[in-house]
This record gives sequence, C-alpha cells and structure tokens, in this order.
Amino acid sequence: MTEQEIVTIINDALVEEFELDADEMQPELSIYDDLGLDSLDTVDMVIVLEGAFKFKIREEAEIKEIRTLGDIHAFVQRKLEVEAKN
Amino acid sequence: MNSEQIKIIAMNLWVYGLLLLLTIVGILVTPTAGLYFFLRYGWQTPRIIRHIIWLYGKGWLLIIRPFVHFQRQGLTDDQVPENCIFVINHLSFFDTYFMGALPQSDITFAVRSWPFKMFWYRLFMQLANYLEVEDLSWEQTLAKGNMVLKQGGAVLFFPEGHRSRTGKMQRFYSGAFHLAVQSGCPIVPLCITGTDELLPPGRRYVKPAKVRLKILPVVDVANYQQEGGHRQLRKDVKASMVAELERMLSNTEHESR
Repeated sequence: MTEQEIVTIINDALVEEFELDADEMQPELSIYDDLGLDSLDTVDMVIVLEGAFKFKIREEAEIKEIRTLGDIHAFVQRKLEVEAKN
Repeated sequence: MNSEQIKIIAMNLWVYGLLLLLTIVGILVTPTAGLYFFLRYGWQTPRIIRHIIWLYGKGWLLIIRPFVHFQRQGLTDDQVPENCIFVINHLSFFDTYFMGALPQSDITFAVRSWPFKMFWYRLFMQLANYLEVEDLSWEQTLAKGNMVLKQGGAVLFFPEGHRSRTGKMQRFYSGAFHLAVQSGCPIVPLCITGTDELLPPGRRYVKPAKVRLKILPVVDVANYQQEGGHRQLRKDVKASMVAELERMLSNTEHESR
C-alpha cells in the first residue's frame, strides 16, 4: 500500500464517520480545533482505523499524542510498517 | 411602518417584557416553592430546581401563545419513558424553553459553557446539576449522566453541539449514544422546527412562527450493545430524525399554502 493510498483510506474513513468535508482534509489541521473532534470521537476514530486497516491500535500510547490529521497519517504509516516487518 | 413591523415590535415588547417578569418572579418564588416541593415530595435541591425550570418552560409556552403557533406531536405523555435520554436538533437559543412541553420535569440538560455565562440562569443551572459538557471531561459527563439516569431522571442532549445556521442538521457527537449504550436507557429523539423562524442564531429580535415539537418513537438500545454499537445507534437515530424533519418541514409548507 502506498503512502497516498493510506492517506486516502484514512481521510475517507474519517470523512464518512464524522461527516467532515472531504476538501478540508489537510494534514496540518488540528483534529480538535479544526476538524471539531472531541475526546469521545478519538475513541470512535480508533475503532474506524482498526476497521479500515484490520489492526489493533487501542492500546498504543502514541494515540494520545495525536493532534493533527498528519499525525494520524504518520502513526498509521509507522504501524503498518511495523506490522509488515513482523 | 407596516402592520407586519408593528406586530413584530409588539411581539418583542410582549415576549421579552413578560419573560423578564417571569424570570424575576421565578427567582423570587423559588425558595418558597422549593420548600413546598421538599415538604410535599421529599425532593432534593437538583430535582426541585429541574421541576421549577420545567414550570418556567410552561410559562414560556403561555407567553408566546399570542404570536407563536406551537404544537407538540408524536408520542403521548404515557408513551414517553421517564428514564431516558432525549436527543434533539438545535436551531435556536429558545429550543430549550420548549422542553416545558415534555411530559416530565426531571430532565438534566447537557449544555455547553456559554449558557452558564448568563448570570440570571447560572445558579439555577448549577443547582439543577446540569452537565456542562465543555468544562467536564467526557468520563465525568458520562459518570454524572449515569448517576442522573440511575436516580430515575432523564438527560437531554443536543448532539449537534451547536445551533444550525443553515437549518440543515449537522454532524452528531457521540456522547448521548455512549451514555445510552452504557446505561441501557432508551433514546427518545425529538425533532423541533420553526424556532429558527422565531429566533435564529445572529438575530436578537423574535418573530412570529409556527413551532412543532415531535416526540419520535422510543429507540431501545438492547440491539446496540456490541463493540462500537453507539456509532450505529448514532447513525440510526440521526437518519430517523433527518427523515422526520423533512416530513415536518414539508407538512408545514403544505399548511402555509
């Protein structure tokens, strides 16, 4: 899966789940201040990402550090790389 | 000045004048009324204040009667469970005032921080134990909400979070649906129309309107207990509300023809 494909899957999943505007999905945007997600939404976001990529990430401490859409892209990218190595 | 403008001026003098009077009288009689409710029913302060707020809503419905054609539709009083989670679309500051038309008074509102800034309401909202969702963490909000439901009351959420500025329903936040799945209490969706004619966001004066509040069928949450079930519950409830709002708006259009 290419980096762009990963970004597209993430963005599409978040747009669908949180009824976001697909044109606004820029990596530098804060998921809280710009996309309007709240702390409960991050729980849903984890479920959505787990469903989209068929991995388990809910126990990952790094999730708490996610602030921007770009952070999600990078986190998933890293996670998929680790999964591929294992 | 035409007759429409005169009517609007008269309405604003009437509505805001009497609302001010009702608020002052309400504040003054609350201690006596509270003592009465305590002695009569043994209610504690939050329950008493929630009942007084509900009566205030009833007063509002009387005040606006000359200018606002209000109708409650859908479930009858005996079909609405006391112990439930209401979710309602949000069009206007005055949406909450119409909750005086609901059959029960023990309703805890989940609200953002800004209504607490109105000093004349703040103490009442604090005493009523309203859920201030912006200042509490979601864990605290859910814990407080669960407590209210365990005591037999109802919690009311505006799942859109903000008033709609387009009339179109916005995205739903998950809090109400998490609480429903956690507590096992049913969701009762409410659809309101016409309050955006009465007082939309950004306007300060009220205008005559037809307001409809419809109580939709109760949604049992037993089928949503699987992991992530709150998400499906949120989507299903929203879809039913969107469809109902379309029907209500289309009916209102037919009525005005």
